[in-house]
Amino acid sequence: MIAYIIKRLLISIPVLFGISVLVFFMVRLVPGDTVTAMLGNSYTPEQAEALRAKYGLDEPLITQYALWLKNVVQGDFGYSQFTNTPVLEAILARLPITIELATLSVLIAIIIAIPLGTIAAIRRNSKFDYGASLFGMLGISIPNFWLGTLMILFLSLYAGLFPSGGFVGLAESVWGNLQSMILPAIALGTAVAAVAMRMTRSSMLEVTNQDYIKMARAKGVSNSRLIIKHALKNALVPVVTVLGIQTGYLLGGSVVVEQIFGLPGVGQLALQAITNRDYALLQGTILFIGSAFVIINLIVDIVYGFLNPQIRY
Amino acid sequence: MNDIWYQFKKNKIAMFGLIMISIFILSAIVAPILAPYDPYKMSGGESLAGPSLAHWLGTDQFGRDILSRIIYGTRISLQVGIISVGISLVAGTIIGVVAAYYGKWVDHVLSRLTDVMFSFPDILLALVIMAILGPSLTNLMIAIGIVYTPIFARIARGSVLTIKHSLYIDAAKSMGISNVKIMWKHILPNSMAPLIVQVTLSFAFAILAEAALSFLGLGVSPDTPSWGIMLSEGKNWMESAWWIAVFPGIAITMAVFSFNVMGDGLRDALDPKLKNESS
Amino acid sequence: MRFKSFILVMIALLFVVAGCTDPTESTDSGGDDSGDQEAGDGGTLTISDLSEAQSLDPHMVTDAASMRYIENMYSTMFRYVAGEYGEVEGELVEDYELSEDETTYTFTLHEGVTFHNGDALTSEDVKYSFERMMEDGVRKDQFSAVESIETPSETEVVVNLEQPIAPFLTFLAYPMNAIVNQTVVEENGGELDSVDAGSGPFELNEWTKDQEMVLDKFDDYFKEGKPHLDQVVWRAIPDETARTTAIRNGEIDIILQAQPKNVERLEQAEGVNVEEVLGTYWEYVGFNVEDDVMENKQVRQAIAWAVDRDAINETVKFGQAVPLRGGNIPENHWAHMEEEVYPERDLDKARELLEEAGYGDGLELSMKVSNNQSQIDAAQMIKQQLKEVGIELEVVSQENSVFFEQLGSGDFQSTVVGWVGFVDPDEYLYNIFHTEGMYNQQNYSNPEVDQLLEQGRKEMDQEKRKEIYAEAQKIIAEDAPMVFLYANPQISAIRDRVEGFNVDPTVTTISLENTKVAQ
Repeated sequence: MIAYIIKRLLISIPVLFGISVLVFFMVRLVPGDTVTAMLGNSYTPEQAEALRAKYGLDEPLITQYALWLKNVVQGDFGYSQFTNTPVLEAILARLPITIELATLSVLIAIIIAIPLGTIAAIRRNSKFDYGASLFGMLGISIPNFWLGTLMILFLSLYAGLFPSGGFVGLAESVWGNLQSMILPAIALGTAVAAVAMRMTRSSMLEVTNQDYIKMARAKGVSNSRLIIKHALKNALVPVVTVLGIQTGYLLGGSVVVEQIFGLPGVGQLALQAITNRDYALLQGTILFIGSAFVIINLIVDIVYGFLNPQIRY
Repeated sequence: MNDIWYQFKKNKIAMFGLIMISIFILSAIVAPILAPYDPYKMSGGESLAGPSLAHWLGTDQFGRDILSRIIYGTRISLQVGIISVGISLVAGTIIGVVAAYYGKWVDHVLSRLTDVMFSFPDILLALVIMAILGPSLTNLMIAIGIVYTPIFARIARGSVLTIKHSLYIDAAKSMGISNVKIMWKHILPNSMAPLIVQVTLSFAFAILAEAALSFLGLGVSPDTPSWGIMLSEGKNWMESAWWIAVFPGIAITMAVFSFNVMGDGLRDALDPKLKNESS
Repeated sequence: MRFKSFILVMIALLFVVAGCTDPTESTDSGGDDSGDQEAGDGGTLTISDLSEAQSLDPHMVTDAASMRYIENMYSTMFRYVAGEYGEVEGELVEDYELSEDETTYTFTLHEGVTFHNGDALTSEDVKYSFERMMEDGVRKDQFSAVESIETPSETEVVVNLEQPIAPFLTFLAYPMNAIVNQTVVEENGGELDSVDAGSGPFELNEWTKDQEMVLDKFDDYFKEGKPHLDQVVWRAIPDETARTTAIRNGEIDIILQAQPKNVERLEQAEGVNVEEVLGTYWEYVGFNVEDDVMENKQVRQAIAWAVDRDAINETVKFGQAVPLRGGNIPENHWAHMEEEVYPERDLDKARELLEEAGYGDGLELSMKVSNNQSQIDAAQMIKQQLKEVGIELEVVSQENSVFFEQLGSGDFQSTVVGWVGFVDPDEYLYNIFHTEGMYNQQNYSNPEVDQLLEQGRKEMDQEKRKEIYAEAQKIIAEDAPMVFLYANPQISAIRDRVEGFNVDPTVTTISLENTKVAQ
């Protein structure tokens, strides 16, 4: 097990390194020169040279990259001109909101997916099963930004059940916070629920067909006990994996969903970094999101290992 | 082939997808005949009119007919789908086949590269690429194409690996057939099934991605009748004119749904063993 | 730093919808509601603007949202007169004298003004603030003619200028040209991004970015009996619909800037009043006159005749803007030009001009716009309108940062964009149309206009200035480096428990010190 964890860690390092390279050079490709942007109308070649030297922009790209990486490793992501704060500070200030959104989405997804998938598997080929399949397909087809828009329209504007946007801090009001998060979490969680439901269903089917379940059944263990005790536990393994895979979706979806609902999270920050051409912030946020993805997947893999010790490493 | 079709036909929901897709393709082709109005035509007197006999799905702020714009929108969505999926298919397959066939360091480098690209949420990666390329329909298709390349690379690599050491490849090698020829003639055809499934599913992704990017204002020119643009404009009118946002959303959902169920159906038909695995 | 701030100023300027109301209207709103109690001292007022502020440093900020917080925390030398757009009156300045040669101002400050930390505000602080603005401030060009500042006594400040500057007092009334507390600035290492170094009616209590800004009444404010409110809370609600819902539910008292399309809905809401004045935010079609096609005056004029200002106003602004058919200074300003250069749309004239220019067979042009939805909408309509005279327009919408960069560097053929926040006619014209103007993105140059603008900048007599600027506006309109579209209203939605809030063309909220709420 430990050997496996170490091995996974070692694989992650080149990927993280690759992410940093890609982020750095990708952002360099975004048109617009920081120096001319700073000087603007009062541009003279001498001033531009001086500024380039000051920011190390006259060095070869590789040197610049090394310098940047060195700073990043030390926790210095640079300074965001847009938020007027160090990049890391800006990200950390918004991180709790995105984490809360993602967690709530996953919770909602699990609450929907596991019972639905389990029942669908037990009553295979029933009307319920078909209904669940339909939900599974619709859930991944419906654009989260449209779902969000619809919920604002019908649940907030017409029915007046929820605030239509804006963020209430957890410290300010727990209830208000939940109210402001619930619709975005549903918008983001629906697709995850759909995928997790399909996964639960198929792994339940597989598990219930395995010999030891058949054996238990033959021994007269009651059906519901069987499902909960044996089958469900084993079927959770692939569900965990799916949730891991969906991390990327959650992080990307948060860009769109946070924008619609006006939640000041990391996704919205990344979008602002792009629209404002805030290079340091852009580098910081995408590096952060990419690394978060790799690390979460690492954790999921390890959890997976614990859940399913039969796997040989 | 008949067997596959037989399998596919049994899947009612997948058939529904196929029919819907046919309808979409057809409306894209005959859009000028089908659409009751010019999708660009503005008429000040009819702005923000609700669904009526004259305008079945209502009009937008400029008095443009929503139905006509949705019909023309199929062209944009299909165009984005075909070209961007084409880009990912070609680029991804080449990368995957080369990686698997040559193995060793080539495989390592290319696989890590795909891992790295997988580490970015697709929308975010597309947004950054759009920022690099600038806003236009062509660039949008390139961006989406790049984003979905790693999926194809991974699939192609996987299926090549499973057959790489089979006897007939070895035989071909021993006969002195060139590497490129082996890849093209023998390995690729055997990797087709999963690729076809992925192509169908990627259409769904591409349509969604175009809509999302346009929705965020980083997509095509603002007067283009793209579903995403329509949705993006519609959200400004939610309270007074719900139809502007609701109908294009239905169109997107239907199109994505159709490609998804058809992809699912194809997977089941092509390889029953894969049945019910998640996309 | 210049260009960066220039971009930001423009973003700030361009995105705010400005407007204003007769101050007398706002004082008795909601008086007919039974059970309403008399508005008196005390209470909390909650207000919401378009976007969240970025910094609290008056001399550095360029975004409009930051200015709304700052102007309530700081005092300025002069202030805008409520309800009289373009006029200013003394604030910290009790009295002033201008020398014979019109280059030396002697300001006498109010006695007994204190900063929020208890320090006395003296002439030294004024001098320090001026120098801070002149050294690193983003608006230092407004002070470029200042030669020296002297402080003969604690309450006297003498400012020597190189030449007469007609809009100088207007600049001093600009809410961001505020007087800061030297001690506080130095304690904070020169940065005021999140601290309060002011002497204004309200002091900083707590600022939670992207959530809320709480300002408390400053008990030792130098104006006796003011402010009336105990607390002002700014809520960050970036979404338009959410803001509208919030005021209808009574969660907020004021939407500072409401969109024209929501006016009707807000008017129908119970307990909400909509107040509207013609604002300072004007929009135009801009051309790069150095472009191969656009350098042709006839093409520009043809577009000016072919654009249907009324139709765009009707669809995009719901008829609430005021079309600009002559110059760019709106009609509520003393320097407005009466004459209409383009009284109504004339397609024949447009075709004729295109024919003369050699584009009788048609012409293809590109138009760049930002992410501003109403400008995107206007561009789409202009595209259709120009089609009628054979001009094929390609509209590209870009992220704001890219758009403004390209606008500044002349990388565009045509655009739809706007300016906001000007008060003096010099601001409306000099920097935009003078050959050497800082914001002359059109690359427009006409020696006659240059001369008029230089003359207007030095002339202290308002009547004479009015004539000079009328002439300049006429020539500019005829040269058509821009096709002026319309001036937008500044619309605020205010709950009827609020009294004494003045909706100002410049969107300033300095009237909050006079505002009361019914409990």
